[in-house]
Amino acid sequence: MMELDLSGFESCPLFPGGVVADHGENPLAAASFQLPACSDFDGFQKDAIQMTKPAKGTTTLAFVFKEGVIVAADSRATMGGYISSQSVKKIVEINPHMLGTIAGGAADCQFWHRNLGIKCRLHELANKRRISVTGASKLLANILYSYKGMGLSVGTMIAGWDEKGPGLYYVDNEGGRLKGTRFSVGSGSPYAYGVLDSGYQFNMSVEEAAELARRAIYHATFHDGASGGVASVYHVGPQGWKKLSGDDVGELHYKYYPMILTPTEQEMADTSAA
Amino acid sequence: MSIFEYNGSAVVAMVGKNCFAIASDRRLGVNLQTIATDFQRIYKIHDKLYIGLSGLATDAQTLYQRLVFRHKLYQLREERDMKPETFASLVSALLYEKRFGPYFCQPVIAGLDDDDVPFICTMDCLGAKELAKDFVVSGTASESLYGVCESMYKPNMESEELFETISQALLSSVDRDCLSGWGGHVLLVTPTEVVERTLKGRMD
Repeated sequence: MMELDLSGFESCPLFPGGVVADHGENPLAAASFQLPACSDFDGFQKDAIQMTKPAKGTTTLAFVFKEGVIVAADSRATMGGYISSQSVKKIVEINPHMLGTIAGGAADCQFWHRNLGIKCRLHELANKRRISVTGASKLLANILYSYKGMGLSVGTMIAGWDEKGPGLYYVDNEGGRLKGTRFSVGSGSPYAYGVLDSGYQFNMSVEEAAELARRAIYHATFHDGASGGVASVYHVGPQGWKKLSGDDVGELHYKYYPMILTPTEQEMADTSAA
Repeated sequence: MSIFEYNGSAVVAMVGKNCFAIASDRRLGVNLQTIATDFQRIYKIHDKLYIGLSGLATDAQTLYQRLVFRHKLYQLREERDMKPETFASLVSALLYEKRFGPYFCQPVIAGLDDDDVPFICTMDCLGAKELAKDFVVSGTASESLYGVCESMYKPNMESEELFETISQALLSSVDRDCLSGWGGHVLLVTPTEVVERTLKGRMD
């Protein structure tokens, strides 16, 4: 007899071992993470949440246009004022046709995106067809909702191309899930929105759209202290995603705003070049 | 983030052979947002005395205005410029006057005294002086600056080499701090001339 696929009802994640609940068990039984054995659980929770500090210092954006979805992000990670890395991958490849973005807690986003990738693959194997963007984002949103209030920090966008065409959803740790055509997440998002909204047109070519995304990320890195490093731009089309560019924003600044050398400086530049 | 990190800043001063260099970043921000990229942190007191003020920008500006006032009065009375050591004591006294409601600044003082021997010192926001023979740092990037200066510094550098060293030290430190950077400003002071240069840095 065919077993009904009840994995959508599961509100809890996989075991740390990485295996789904066995056939023998009741598929609706809640699998759970081990809780710490300590006297003051609430205090411990509070400290743990403070440690992950849901500051979402980053800039990521994604938008839908005629040719698909563009996804772009910076690459800086900060701990308070300290820059811990300038080369973080904030765009994760869930499967060859779907991308997710990272904003908030890096560990949270990386883990749950990988978990989502596993669930998507299981869906493919069970149903003999690729999961839709709607379905994938719903899976993630349900998981995050079940952890609501426990201090996860996830502000992600799921972008992909399925049978209905390009799809883009915003999913966050509060349990929110929004379908849309233009999103930007992170502390640099107001600056990115300014550039993105004023330059957006549905009928753009892939190059124009990529340049718009690149500029939006660049402006966000300029104004926002918690964003910087490398501006990566991806494109999701009918054949899947493709990385278009990864430009260092330090160099982008001087490309967009070349220094106008005064006559003395021009002379110095000429003599040193000679 | 604390009140010292509200605007973001980085200041460093280094001693060379009969010269000194003082450098700062150029960012003015409000928490994470960058407002200006041409903010001046190093001020001239007289031809051979400069003060760099890191910390809260409004306190830095007010403190500078008070110090200039006091120095001008001194010039009128004594008919000469203040020695760097004397000026450092003046700054320290002014800061301690506000012991229970301080200026949220960390000054870096650099000057050449009458025999053209370089003098540098730094202070905390309450006026505790720290004299040094090699380099002093202050600001949100101070920990990075300590590390970089410690490894790059050599005694008795000539002015060009000193300029290179202080510039590299400043730029690499602010690249690890999200609250300072967006360019740099270096002043190289020798007994005969003052060279002021702007550094091209990462604008993120």
